[in-house]
Amino acid sequence: MFNPSIGEAPPSEDEAGDPLTGKFDEDMAVFEQWIENYDDVGIRNFELGVDSGIRAAVVYAEGLSDRNVLDRQVLQALMNADFDAGSDVPLADRVLRQMPVLKTKECDSVRQAMGQVLIGWAALIVDGVQGAFMLGVFKGVPRQMDEPESEGLIRGARVGFNENLHDNTAILRRFGENQSLFILKMKVGRRAKRNVAIAYIEDVAKPELVEEVKSRISRIDLDSVLESGYIEQMIEDSTLSPFPQIQSTERPDRVFGALLEGRVAILLAGTPFALIVPATLSMFLQSPEDYFERWLPGTMFRLLRFFALMVSLLAPSLYISFISFHPGLIPTKLAMSIIGSRVNVPFTALVEALILEVSIELLREAGLRLPKPIGPAMGIVGGLVIGEAAVQAGIVSPILVIVIAVTAISSFAIPHYNIGLSFRMLRFVSMFCAGVFGLFGVILFFLALCIHLVNLRSFGVPYAGPLVSYQFEDWKDFLIRVPLAAMKRRPKMLKPKQPIRKG
Amino acid sequence: MNSGSNNQISTQQAVVILINYILAAGILTLPRTSAEKVGTPDVWLAVLIGGAIAIAAGSVMAKLSERYPGRTFFEYSTAVAGKWIGGIVSLAMIVYFIAISAFEVRTMAEVTCFFLLEGTPNWAIVIAFMWIGIYLVAGGIDPIARLFEIILPITIIIFAIVTLLSMRIFDFERLRPVLGLGFSPVWKGVKTTTLAFLGPEIMLIITAFMKRPASAIKVVVSGVSIAAAFYLATVILVIGGLSLDGARASTWPTIDLIRSFELQGLLLERFDSLLLTIWIMQIFSTFTVTLYAAAKGASDLFKRGFKPFAYCFLPIIFLCAMLPKNINETFQMGDQIGHVALVLFGVVPLLFLVLSFLRRKRRGRR
Repeated sequence: MFNPSIGEAPPSEDEAGDPLTGKFDEDMAVFEQWIENYDDVGIRNFELGVDSGIRAAVVYAEGLSDRNVLDRQVLQALMNADFDAGSDVPLADRVLRQMPVLKTKECDSVRQAMGQVLIGWAALIVDGVQGAFMLGVFKGVPRQMDEPESEGLIRGARVGFNENLHDNTAILRRFGENQSLFILKMKVGRRAKRNVAIAYIEDVAKPELVEEVKSRISRIDLDSVLESGYIEQMIEDSTLSPFPQIQSTERPDRVFGALLEGRVAILLAGTPFALIVPATLSMFLQSPEDYFERWLPGTMFRLLRFFALMVSLLAPSLYISFISFHPGLIPTKLAMSIIGSRVNVPFTALVEALILEVSIELLREAGLRLPKPIGPAMGIVGGLVIGEAAVQAGIVSPILVIVIAVTAISSFAIPHYNIGLSFRMLRFVSMFCAGVFGLFGVILFFLALCIHLVNLRSFGVPYAGPLVSYQFEDWKDFLIRVPLAAMKRRPKMLKPKQPIRKG
Repeated sequence: MNSGSNNQISTQQAVVILINYILAAGILTLPRTSAEKVGTPDVWLAVLIGGAIAIAAGSVMAKLSERYPGRTFFEYSTAVAGKWIGGIVSLAMIVYFIAISAFEVRTMAEVTCFFLLEGTPNWAIVIAFMWIGIYLVAGGIDPIARLFEIILPITIIIFAIVTLLSMRIFDFERLRPVLGLGFSPVWKGVKTTTLAFLGPEIMLIITAFMKRPASAIKVVVSGVSIAAAFYLATVILVIGGLSLDGARASTWPTIDLIRSFELQGLLLERFDSLLLTIWIMQIFSTFTVTLYAAAKGASDLFKRGFKPFAYCFLPIIFLCAMLPKNINETFQMGDQIGHVALVLFGVVPLLFLVLSFLRRKRRGRR
């Protein structure tokens, strides 16, 4: 059957097509032929030295190679250098010696050389020298390492990853002198290959984990990897689960903290989002600030977030079950006032809650896509005006507006956007369960959710984390955060090579 | 890296499974059933004795299973007692597990129907409940153990809150006189209280999965003791709160106790919803353990896959649960299952243990 990926594999750098002979005219003819369809590739012919007469050419890609470096370090240096015919040092060595470029390598074929030129290397061909010198004259696209917008902190470094892989790995190095921080590079994507870096601390991370990460990444078979989300979806354990099983973050401090716990980070070129594996549910409820602030506020924030999680998951469904099924279980006065406010509402509690919940989700989605200055205005129109009018019109009861608003605020308190998404989806499921079976339905929903959580694993580590298997040592950094001095061990559930934090 | 081989449970997890299995319908009914039989406020003594008997019987079963590490009762029973007797006893246990499973489900449906979902048919409640149950059981012993580790702390916390709140109406005088009519009334209640501690029989199965089978007896002792603490607290608080006659007169005395007081000014005025929440979770854990035990037993006995049996037993359990016509018949069904259990798990394991000693001795002589 028709399979577009077979038979037209992209030019691979391993193939030795069109070997470079060392005869300048023949080689250049092949290059000319090659670049016919690459208008962004240029060739500059010149002569080595002042009057040695040795012909040479540079092949480079516009925009990818740095023109300043090519001008000064390559052309200017080689043209001004002394290339006497009488020297007995081979020409190739003399060229290399005269050229002030840090990164060089050699290529044997035009095909190979062109593959490199197209990612930013420049090829230098010299008459009489077999092969081509490849010069690492990449042009960086500078971007500030701004504070990440999706994960703001009050206290903490104002720095986030950017789109440049070298900057990102460098920033991990800058956390301190550490010979055991290993960074491995791999390539992913069949048609558009991209660099992926796997970072881990060699004497902390479990070796099987590192091997598993490598093998899962090497098994990725995609045309191209546009964002680290592609990698995340290709290497996660369970595709059907509503929960993210890999943490993505823009914050280097979060990544480095995870590395120190024995986790592995995956950084992709071209995106500021790094991935951390294995992930546990509790990780998504933590913020680096928990550790930067003193332990008492840190603990309080944590407990608050767990509370927010439960509210954002269960508040609307509890409202539905109490109003439709068990009004006797809430205080009589409250029940009276709720029922009184619902006299004019023609819908059942489930429909009423769904109307409001769906409109909140719409508002949120709309606010996200709008240009920044309009976003807040949208919130005012949607939240205040429509909410107020809906109550006045008798579509929803004011108590429900409060419940839904508290739910929405709680879900904003969850520090990770993607775990918030999971709970937003699950909230609707729990509302339906409540609509059918009341409190009993909510209990069943909770049980089913827990069953799913205990079955889920991320890279061999139980997703429910320290909650199950009762690893009390890990509880020091779970619901509460004990003082730093008391956290002597790395998380046991990750089975790190070196369980005790030292020095 | 794969989790497939991870089918072992730690000693802690075994304790958690045992506690969750023991705690079930008894939390709501034990004060009534035991008060009916004992007739004096010394019910709590009967609970203690019942717990001790359960520990003794459980230790026998644990000891028996310890002798065959890595094998469940259904695998070694034929080796101990021969093909026929071992097979028949195993089959009887499978039937027992199915029956108790059906009983728990039905009790759950009765309570839910009565307190939470008036007008919703029993079968709808039961089917939804069983679906979630099979979702858990299909994963094997490992997820069961881990889910129970989530359920148990919730149970303990909520139970502590609810019982502490009920101290408002607790009157110590209602528990007196101690042994006013001597010890004989206590003995009358021991059978009932012992039946509330049904559960150590799971040791016949889970010992095979324990990382350290040698600590099986420790599991029985600590598991039953913690469950006994729950029952003791329940019985003392209900009788101290409602008096002996109050406990006898009500079908679900524990819920009535919680309903009998209100706290003003809190988000909740009444706490029966909290009690029912943990109670449903406890019934859920008992149901899943029995379903697991029945399916595991059948799969070990007939050397067939585990999951098909688990799914096959669902409709059977459903039909059994629907058999009793009303709540009184349900309770009768529970009593009869209990009588069977006394023989099946009180007497039979002891015989098997003796038999197993004899066999080994004979083999040693050869």
